[in-house]
Amino acid sequence: MERRARRRSALEPICIPHPLIAAASLLILAACDASPEQDLVAKGRQIFFNETFQGNGRTCGTCHPAENNLTLDPAFIATLPPTDPLFVAEFNPDLKKNFENPRLMRQFGLILENLDGFADLEKKFVMRGVPHMLGLRTSVDSPQGPRTGWSGDGAPGDGSLRSFATGAVIQHFTKTLNRIPGQDFRLPTEEELDAIEAFSLSLGRQHDLALPLPLKGIVPKRGQEIFLDNSLGKCNRCHANAGATANFGAGSIGNANFNTGVENLPDQPADLSGELNPADDGFRTPGDGTFNTPPLVEAAETGPFFHNNAIETIEGAVAFYDGEAFNSSPAGKLLAAADPDGVGIELDGTQIVAIAAFLRVINALENIRQSVELLESSRSKGIAHRAEAKELITRSLNETQDSIRVLEGGGLHPEAVAHLREAQTFAKKAARSLFFRDRLTKQAIEEQNKARAQLVESS
Amino acid sequence: MLKLLAGVAVMGLWLGCLAQAHGQQMTEMYIPIGQSPGVSGKSSLMGAIESVNPQKHTLAVSGPSGIHEILLTDRTRIWLDRTQARLPNLTGTLANLHKGLKVEVKFRDADQKRVAEWIKVQVAESGAPARKP
Repeated sequence: MERRARRRSALEPICIPHPLIAAASLLILAACDASPEQDLVAKGRQIFFNETFQGNGRTCGTCHPAENNLTLDPAFIATLPPTDPLFVAEFNPDLKKNFENPRLMRQFGLILENLDGFADLEKKFVMRGVPHMLGLRTSVDSPQGPRTGWSGDGAPGDGSLRSFATGAVIQHFTKTLNRIPGQDFRLPTEEELDAIEAFSLSLGRQHDLALPLPLKGIVPKRGQEIFLDNSLGKCNRCHANAGATANFGAGSIGNANFNTGVENLPDQPADLSGELNPADDGFRTPGDGTFNTPPLVEAAETGPFFHNNAIETIEGAVAFYDGEAFNSSPAGKLLAAADPDGVGIELDGTQIVAIAAFLRVINALENIRQSVELLESSRSKGIAHRAEAKELITRSLNETQDSIRVLEGGGLHPEAVAHLREAQTFAKKAARSLFFRDRLTKQAIEEQNKARAQLVESS
Repeated sequence: MLKLLAGVAVMGLWLGCLAQAHGQQMTEMYIPIGQSPGVSGKSSLMGAIESVNPQKHTLAVSGPSGIHEILLTDRTRIWLDRTQARLPNLTGTLANLHKGLKVEVKFRDADQKRVAEWIKVQVAESGAPARKP
């Protein structure tokens, strides 16, 4: 779920307004003033989820909804009303052709992008999934410059995360395919770009993990070993510490692009549909076939996987690296070249499931961390800020639901799941309670910590 | 072990050779002159075309700090900015560059300011030169 509160919560002032003492109230109000950084993040959040830029009705949140981990999948899309601006191509005659493919959107969560230009809208486009925006602070920088979007070249202007929104408005917010600024949309202002960037960077993790973690589960623990083993799983080479940066032994080289052969997968869902689905050549125009490395901590809750949503499950995504498409790709061959036996990645079923179990557990741990943070943050909200507290608790509930879904999906840690359900119960009561919110929230936090203790040794 | 090291070295070289990741998303063509985020007013050159040399694939642009000679390559994109005429922008060619037209140039190397990555030229309808004020 939406992770923007991490940095903010650390800076959150404790506000206990006293309605009877005017002077004290003034002091408290002063103490409640947010820092400039908090203000910018809050402004960015407001723009992200509400600003249509005078376009077709979409906001950034249309494709990056807070309640769905800032990404889209067919299950979430199925919950939206037909009037949702995501479906603008279905009800706006000017966007009926060559703007989206509603069938591929609804069935596979795919969005149309004209990454190789707008000269031939009929045939020249790619269909891509919506990347989540979690952990951007750890996953955009590279020595070659910032890498945004699935192929690392998603932004116009200087190519930065800040500039990304400008390209997104032109591509996705337009009222007509003429894409005339001031007529079909307005471009974000400099101030808006600053705010959206600040908000985007506040989402999710602000730091990479430091693996290995002292995991308790037998299978996830083995999964972590395989993940880190440069002669077996080799995952850690391109996803150092399960993040989005590569390290081949001489230090981090930042976020990198690779051609992993995803485009060569047989039986891709969008291809099977019979709809026109041109090959995606990745980075640059014409493309070099490479795509950007996403972080893995967030993976288990943000499928489908890869730029074309080709694989639905985290187990399937791990299994991809054992297959022909990867091992005959440039990245697979390079891994093989670095292997003493000339092997790329070769894993058996149990090992694939173990790595996926590890990814599920680190995702649940991240969700628990955020849930606790949100709950703690809600505790600092006085009666005057009850609505804010309730919103924080609701977001925590979403995180907890993700933890449960991710663990249960892998048949992992049923005791932890039981504690997470208890945490949900307390949090729900806390959200409703006028007088016992703090006590109930504390109990929810305790249950979260108990769940965490089932997954990992306490440090 | 040697093979491992060699492989890692190959990987390092391969990654080291990766081109600059800086943005080249095609939506740039719809951004009016002077509004490219992180580029306009920072590293681009804005001015008026002084002369065009189709044989040498060069362009002389008169900017705030004098006249710059700019080299166009096969990869240089030219866009016709028709925003003021409320018309959609178009892809252009060297033939659309004429003396006196307002242009913005983004350089492949912002420090050297020599080779153009893209050029936006302000034109009126149908790619014809915009009327001079």
